[in-house]
Amino acid sequence: MKRNKGMIVAFILPALFFFALTFVYPIIRTILMSFFRIDNVTASMAQWQFSGIDNYTKLLSTPVFKTALLNLLKIWLFGGVIVMALALLFAVILSSGIRGKKFFRAVIYLPNIVSAVALAVMWQQYVFSNQYGLLKPIADAGGWQWLDPEHKFLALLLAYCFGMVGYHMLIFLSGIERISTDYFEAGRIDGTNQFTQFRYITLSLLKGVFKTNITMWSITSAGFFVWSQLFSSVTTDTTVITPLVYLYAQTFGSGNTVTERNAGLGAAIGIVLAIFVVIVFWVCNTALKDDDLEF
Amino acid sequence: MPIPAPVQAAPEKENVRKLREPLHSHKQLKLLPGYIIITVWVLFTFMLLGWVLCASLSTTPEIFKGAVGTFPSGLHFENYVKAWGSQNVSRIFMNSLGYSIISCFALIFICAPCAYALSRFKFWGNKAMQSGFVAAMGVPVAMIVLPLFCLVAQMNMMDNGIRNRIVLIFLYIGINVPYTTIFLLTFFANLSRSFEEAASIDGCPPVKIFWKIMFPMAQPGIITVTIFNFINIWNEYFLSLIFANSDQMRPVAVGLYSMINSMKYTGDWSGMFAAVVIVFLPTFLLYIFLSEKIIAGVTAGGVKG
Repeated sequence: MKRNKGMIVAFILPALFFFALTFVYPIIRTILMSFFRIDNVTASMAQWQFSGIDNYTKLLSTPVFKTALLNLLKIWLFGGVIVMALALLFAVILSSGIRGKKFFRAVIYLPNIVSAVALAVMWQQYVFSNQYGLLKPIADAGGWQWLDPEHKFLALLLAYCFGMVGYHMLIFLSGIERISTDYFEAGRIDGTNQFTQFRYITLSLLKGVFKTNITMWSITSAGFFVWSQLFSSVTTDTTVITPLVYLYAQTFGSGNTVTERNAGLGAAIGIVLAIFVVIVFWVCNTALKDDDLEF
Repeated sequence: MPIPAPVQAAPEKENVRKLREPLHSHKQLKLLPGYIIITVWVLFTFMLLGWVLCASLSTTPEIFKGAVGTFPSGLHFENYVKAWGSQNVSRIFMNSLGYSIISCFALIFICAPCAYALSRFKFWGNKAMQSGFVAAMGVPVAMIVLPLFCLVAQMNMMDNGIRNRIVLIFLYIGINVPYTTIFLLTFFANLSRSFEEAASIDGCPPVKIFWKIMFPMAQPGIITVTIFNFINIWNEYFLSLIFANSDQMRPVAVGLYSMINSMKYTGDWSGMFAAVVIVFLPTFLLYIFLSEKIIAGVTAGGVKG
């Protein structure tokens, strides 16, 4: 095929323009910002004061931020375990040959297309309501309420996980469906039961899919914001605060916990979140050394 | 003309298997625990959505009495009329519709040519650009929001007018460029080159080959990615919160949030649930008609939900 430089440039330039302006430039500037003291987000570079790693040390010694980071890790770990377990369970059930698979699959994925704001309203006003809530009996048995400060985080976690299961289930499901039936056939001939079949065939061939799922889960966790904001009763509610909420309060909001205006701190939060994603990605890649298996 | 789309192969195989395997009660019995678990989950989902639908048709006192679903005073469709009229719902709805449709169209015309060029031509920086797009899909929004805000503020773009709308649309396009391009790239890579070769032998210039032959052939992929973009933009929250500061500019997600907050004072709960349903309706309708396409798209080219 004839090479056509003009055409390539014309085809690529618009996308590259948007990419450079919404990703490349902001990322570089955010990295720079995190090493400066900046009184106002909109301050020009000339007004920045270099402060080394002060922003990072300050962040890590701020109790609210530590709480936020801890909350994020809790959501990532506990939520991750719940979501992955349920998603895998549903994927295995759906691929076991049950009837109405398409219907079930569609309904389980449904929450993913609903606005998180709408979903959160449904959970708060209905499921967790202390007057007529669906899960009220559970709380009543223990003598507490879902949305009280001690149990709000749990409530948030459950509601969030409910919405996330569908997406990760689809990824697992597509992975399982790609496994050749020959493996299961061979296993059956050798007399494996359903459990060993799952453990030694399905799981061991799903490493790559796990990696995708964990990476995606971590990326969405790093952007955890709207659920936290909706479950907060005050502007910065430390029971459910996450780093992004703290960044928002720190830089844009009228937060009640903001001690100083410093956009450099906000930038440092962004970097911390990015590092979090990179670490998870790296650990996944090392721990789940990709299957050289072709299937 | 059959278009090689790997996603469409799966359902066919399924049908074949279904024909060969009649209903064995023994086998189905073994699957019973699976049925029970899935059914419980599905019922819960229906109850959640159904309750909101019922609440939106009840009166506020009925909701607080816990009488949702029994409709002691009949169905109150006027909640919708009220919410649409007086509660800003029509405004945020039309805002979101405008933002989403314009961004979705722009994304296709920006990303499809780029994806095509990246999938077909070898040139300096091609691989780097692809890796850059893939990496960008994992960048937390916290990494990009501050400089963007600074840029927009310095240009005085947040004026609650048309310039503000342009900023929002620009951002919706920008953050979805990497995903859209990578999705379409895998799609183009799966299309056969023979059409282009034939057209090129007939003397058709490459630009024309793209718009007249390849672009129409990529339609299934374009439709799928557009549905995703629409849902993503419709539900986008964080950037809208920062860059749409007034009631006139707000899209549905942020508008709904500020409505909920003011609901604490007005106490019109049935109206709020009507608003929730209205906001949720467009993506839900899309899903009812296109769920197979959406589900195939999640796992096909994309790694985003």
